[in-house]
Amino acid sequence: MKRERLPVLAVAVMLLLPMMPRAAAAHGEAADEPFLKDLTVAFYDVNIGPTSVTVGQPVTITGKLTILDTWPYTLDPPQTAYITPVVPGPVFALTDRTINGEPAFGSVEVEKGGTYAFKMVMLARDPGHWHVHPGIAIQGTGTLIGPGLWVDVAPSGQPFVLPVTLLDGRKVNLETLGGNFVWWWSFIGFLIGLVWMIYWTVPKRTVTRLAVTSQLPVNDDAPDIGLITPRDHFWMDVLAGLTILLLVIGWVGMARKYPVRLPQQTDRFEPTSLTPSTHMATVRSSGATFDQSNDTLTINARIHNTSASPITLKSYVMAMTSFVDGPEEELAKAGPADYVGKLSVTPDGAIAPGETRDVTLKMTSEVFEQERLIPLHDPQQLIAGLLRFTDDQGHQDIVTLKSVLVPTEFRPQYLP
Amino acid sequence: MAAAATTGMTAAERQKRLELTELLNAKYQWIDRTWDVVFWITAIFIVGGAADITKLLFAGDWDFWTDWKDPQWWPVVTAFATIIIPSALQWIQWVAWRFPTGATYTCTCLFLASWIGRFFQWHIAETYPLNFIWPISTVPAAIILDWILMKTRSFVVTSVVGGVVWAVLVWAFNYIPLAPYLQPAVFMHHILTVSDVQGIAYIRSQTPEYMRHIERGALRSFLGETQYVSLVFGGSLAILGYWIGQLIGRYLAVWPIGKYIKTY
Repeated sequence: MKRERLPVLAVAVMLLLPMMPRAAAAHGEAADEPFLKDLTVAFYDVNIGPTSVTVGQPVTITGKLTILDTWPYTLDPPQTAYITPVVPGPVFALTDRTINGEPAFGSVEVEKGGTYAFKMVMLARDPGHWHVHPGIAIQGTGTLIGPGLWVDVAPSGQPFVLPVTLLDGRKVNLETLGGNFVWWWSFIGFLIGLVWMIYWTVPKRTVTRLAVTSQLPVNDDAPDIGLITPRDHFWMDVLAGLTILLLVIGWVGMARKYPVRLPQQTDRFEPTSLTPSTHMATVRSSGATFDQSNDTLTINARIHNTSASPITLKSYVMAMTSFVDGPEEELAKAGPADYVGKLSVTPDGAIAPGETRDVTLKMTSEVFEQERLIPLHDPQQLIAGLLRFTDDQGHQDIVTLKSVLVPTEFRPQYLP
Repeated sequence: MAAAATTGMTAAERQKRLELTELLNAKYQWIDRTWDVVFWITAIFIVGGAADITKLLFAGDWDFWTDWKDPQWWPVVTAFATIIIPSALQWIQWVAWRFPTGATYTCTCLFLASWIGRFFQWHIAETYPLNFIWPISTVPAAIILDWILMKTRSFVVTSVVGGVVWAVLVWAFNYIPLAPYLQPAVFMHHILTVSDVQGIAYIRSQTPEYMRHIERGALRSFLGETQYVSLVFGGSLAILGYWIGQLIGRYLAVWPIGKYIKTY
């Protein structure tokens, strides 16, 4: 290859490099440490659908989350939170959100032990294959992610439109509103600056000026020598005047076209609590183990039925996963399939009122590894989750269970 | 004016200035034009990068999203963040060449850097609409800052007068394109501004609403005139930022070069 072609090749490679990576479609949910997921928030009853839409069609996320009583002392206590879809950028546009039935455009006040039912409606904006999750960002902690589902968005043949109704009743398209003006307005200012720069840099040379200025005091612009001449002053006055004139014209036009302008709005509220004042049962863990060789989590717990009816343990929820003791139909309803598994309870069956029973919960799933849910080498070898009980009248209750976790088998690790 | 400038000089001083005039108009075979082209073009990347990084470090989100461009914080942080590098370049270009161009050059470079970044990284790659993520323009404020330096020939006066003017102009020039996004809209059963709606609709999973540092209302609301108080405070901070820029321009940026330049 001829040597003179090398720079061309280098430039071509530099320009092509940014085009090589594939678009990120998911989120690296496993990046968070296990205790951040296990001890903080549990998501359940999550439903995301439909999973195949065209641009402009709605996708709805519903579900519940509970901020666990086991919130780690190493994190700031949960107080302010923002429940949000977690998607790869604005590939969807959020158009509606309710928390415990109330419209929630912004952040909300939350508390440990609080349960929040959420519903979020989004319009598909960009074609692609996107992993969609619910999430909750908690001030001082970060965004904690719930179970996700792949959603396919097909092109619609039309550009995406996001209509918003102004207070005076007019409808505007949020995708394009004011966009051209922003560019042209900034560009006109840039052009004046460009003229200013060309005036000084093209006809005037820096080398000879440096030789002169280095022999003069800083505040001497030396019109007699020709550094800054009366002509320079005249044209700079013209350009400065043009700049101010542009500002005045723009300001008057803006004030007439948009007479009503508000500062950005903010509101926070405390959603009505869904947390029951009494529980059906008290639970206490007597230890948990995780067998890394077969991805099996085993929890030993003592359950005491404090209600007046027989209760049955139906599921265990940990972070974004749900493990259900029931038929396939119940598993299908528990959430996105990748995050749902089978729960085995021994001994199984209803627990009578007042009865205390020692049970063993066993769950086997690759999701423990994939989502990095089990603390194997962490300063907090703890897990926590929600036990969901039902009674014979169909009432449900969730109770938090925290367990010390003992790994029973390790795979070799060659780095700390 | 030229005659007035030489009034009161001794004959030796006049002779010296005549020599300087000849020096200024001396012709070189190639270095002058070639050097200028190489310098002005290569410096675009360095100056634009420095100005953009400084802006993003100190005023990142306020410059990114329309729903952060509020009456209280936006005029304060952007005025401070955007004047530092223009001030440094003002010193360098004025002292070296008596060009009142340091601020304008910086801000035209910043304009290019900001818009290229927003368009390719955030609009094309991330698909945020440009009307949500447009960068502010500081070029008009820079023109006036350079004009003030040219008229006063004083960095002290430019910092005091120019700092305040900078804060007002950066805000005023960018408030005009912001106005459509401050219109009230009905969304999620609330009255919000269009910019709030943009912030909600265009999902930012890792920038939750509570992270916005915007005016939220407090007893320190100054009879509802927060905007003007912020502009005054922004002007004060811009004066401080101007002198941080001077520190960079006078001591850090030209220190290696200064060792090889003969001064009188």
